[in-house]
Amino acid sequence: KLPGNLLSSKVVFSPDGAGGWFTEPAVETDIISTVEFNYSGELLATGDKGGRVVIFQREQESKNRPLSRGEYNVYSTFQSHEPEFDYLKSLEIEEKINKIRWLPQQNAAHFLLSTNDKTIKLWKISERDKRAEGYNLKDEDGRLRDPFRITTLRVPVLMPMDLMVEASPRRIFANAHTYHINSISVNSDHETYLSADDLRINLWHLEITDRSFNIVDIKPANMEELTEVITAAECHPHQCNVFVYSSSKGTIRLCDMRAAALCDRHSKFFEEPEDPSSRSFFSEIISSISDVKFSHSGRYMMTRDYLSVKVWDLNMENRPVETYQVHEYLRSKLCSLYENDCIFDKFECCWNGSDSAIMTGSYNNFFRMFDRNTRRDITLEASRENSKPRAMLKPRKVCTGGKRKKDEISVDSLDFNKKILHTAWHPKENVIAVAATNNLYIFQDKIN
Amino acid sequence: MEYKVEAHRIMSISLGKIYNSRVQRGGIKLHKNLLVSLVLRSARQVYLSDYYGGVCLNAQHVEAKEWELMDGDQEKLIPASEESLPSTTACDQTEAAEVPEAPQPEETDSSLAVEGPEDPCEAVEGPEDTSSTEPQAEQESSSSVDSTCDVSVPSPVVSEPQCEAKQATVSSLDCETDANLAMSAEGNSHQPPKAHSCSNRKRSAEKKASHGSPVKRTKVTSSNADEEEAEEMDTSNVSNLITIFGSSFSGLLSKDNSEPEAETDESDSGSGQICCDQMLKNLNPWNTAIVAF
Repeated sequence: KLPGNLLSSKVVFSPDGAGGWFTEPAVETDIISTVEFNYSGELLATGDKGGRVVIFQREQESKNRPLSRGEYNVYSTFQSHEPEFDYLKSLEIEEKINKIRWLPQQNAAHFLLSTNDKTIKLWKISERDKRAEGYNLKDEDGRLRDPFRITTLRVPVLMPMDLMVEASPRRIFANAHTYHINSISVNSDHETYLSADDLRINLWHLEITDRSFNIVDIKPANMEELTEVITAAECHPHQCNVFVYSSSKGTIRLCDMRAAALCDRHSKFFEEPEDPSSRSFFSEIISSISDVKFSHSGRYMMTRDYLSVKVWDLNMENRPVETYQVHEYLRSKLCSLYENDCIFDKFECCWNGSDSAIMTGSYNNFFRMFDRNTRRDITLEASRENSKPRAMLKPRKVCTGGKRKKDEISVDSLDFNKKILHTAWHPKENVIAVAATNNLYIFQDKIN
Repeated sequence: MEYKVEAHRIMSISLGKIYNSRVQRGGIKLHKNLLVSLVLRSARQVYLSDYYGGVCLNAQHVEAKEWELMDGDQEKLIPASEESLPSTTACDQTEAAEVPEAPQPEETDSSLAVEGPEDPCEAVEGPEDTSSTEPQAEQESSSSVDSTCDVSVPSPVVSEPQCEAKQATVSSLDCETDANLAMSAEGNSHQPPKAHSCSNRKRSAEKKASHGSPVKRTKVTSSNADEEEAEEMDTSNVSNLITIFGSSFSGLLSKDNSEPEAETDESDSGSGQICCDQMLKNLNPWNTAIVAF
């Protein structure tokens, strides 16, 4: 069931992690480029164009503050990637974080993978709330003590201290991608993960950084014959031998790693025949898939192209089982959207915990949710005006023609600079995180 | 008519995007440029489909004569003639026209060399400035000014893979000449047959309404000459584009080509140069853009 009433829980993310409102215009490096809940939903990670990762932690519900039910506060902030320069190719490598993926928690520490265009890093986030005091060889402030002054020995004691959250890079997986990395996905075996760029997909072991296995390679012998690129890839949530990857031609290939070392030949090929009546100059662009996500059940997968979201049954390759129009009113505006580059925007999509609903973003800071069972859909806006804490979100509507009703917005009034590309849904509850440029909005379902 | 204008505008915009992508931070984005090149092809198909629909084009008489000379050769060489276009098939033009065409594209090249990389940028504004014919406008879209460069051959962009495949075998035979001539010849080599067959398919798919639309042209000659002029103009477009891409790419290729070509176990320096040469020989400007990535 779609969350009936979404309340704004935590509204704004600022670069210093302090929270609170901050003013426009957005600084480019603060633009959020990825959002991801961890497996329990306790932690929410965001990456931005400046290479920073900010992790939010949900407050434990307490009887003292019943209304603060599970608010997210900043837990840790660290610089994951820096801009680099590839001297061999005279290319600058952006520090923008393309994707963050959490590893399942196995001990007290948390691990996540973050990647920019070329390098993947495994980060360990751990808490420290004690420190040793009473060293023999150094003072409390760290200076070395004069050995001749030491007359007695003492055993250092662990003393409590203010909680400190440390992030340290544990593995760096570099030099395996010639093209820009667009996806990473942790395998269900919790030991391996895949990384995909425009033409290749590599399989890594989390412990081994100096080599990876190439499992998909669609680079043609002659680059002049290039017709499609890989746009997204994901491991199956339960079958560790299965993964899918989507292409710029609107197709999805499912591969089985047991079949061959190099999975250039797919096991399944998902493609919906194009509707010839809707052909235009831009048909190819809008059919390019920008995101692919398995359902939690592993039975379905969802793909996002420019105008729609499609749900596919893995057992049926010739067409999706459900198609949802996100903003069909843009179909007549494709030429303008091509001119201003909006047509290249890569929207993501996500499932809710029970796979009954899906969510994706649009323009004007709108985001859409679709209930797969009731076929209801809702459009909401992530904006400061509408998102005072505890304020309930009001459904929005775009007027597609005819007389514009009150509270409707006409297509021409939409702000195409305000785009919601990244959204995330809590794995168990109706809590959603929506990234609107440099602001992070967290909405929760109303408690009755 | 308006479809042609629209197609032309989209082509200009696309070229601008491809050019701008080279100076973007983070390197060239393969995905986006692939999509832009697809749009460019589609627009070009539509644009060219009108040429063969009997639309008159700007008359470039000087070049028209050259083309008439080549006509006879072409008819000999091309067995499978498509529709009503006897005069032009890429390879034939290449073989017959290498020498006569050489001076003219070279002229183009030299004029363009001065312009350098600003051309695509100016090109974007070109269409708005132009008040005359579209062929001239299209030419301006690739080179900024040169009025002598009205070689009217439909620009050689191969829109569809089938066209490319068909042409690749033929043109590869033809285009293994030295780079200079190949460059101009290349411009010619890929044009009308590909565009022609492509435009046939494309015509059925879209823009049927544009088929018989009137086109304002300053000069109207015989239909045969018109077609030739169209091809000539596009030849110059192509060679202009080739010059732009080629001169910029050769420097770019030695660096950027190492990106697409370089595996960790491949030698970069050699492949860069080889790719550059190959590209100049088998020149298709849109593919050129992709190769550089």
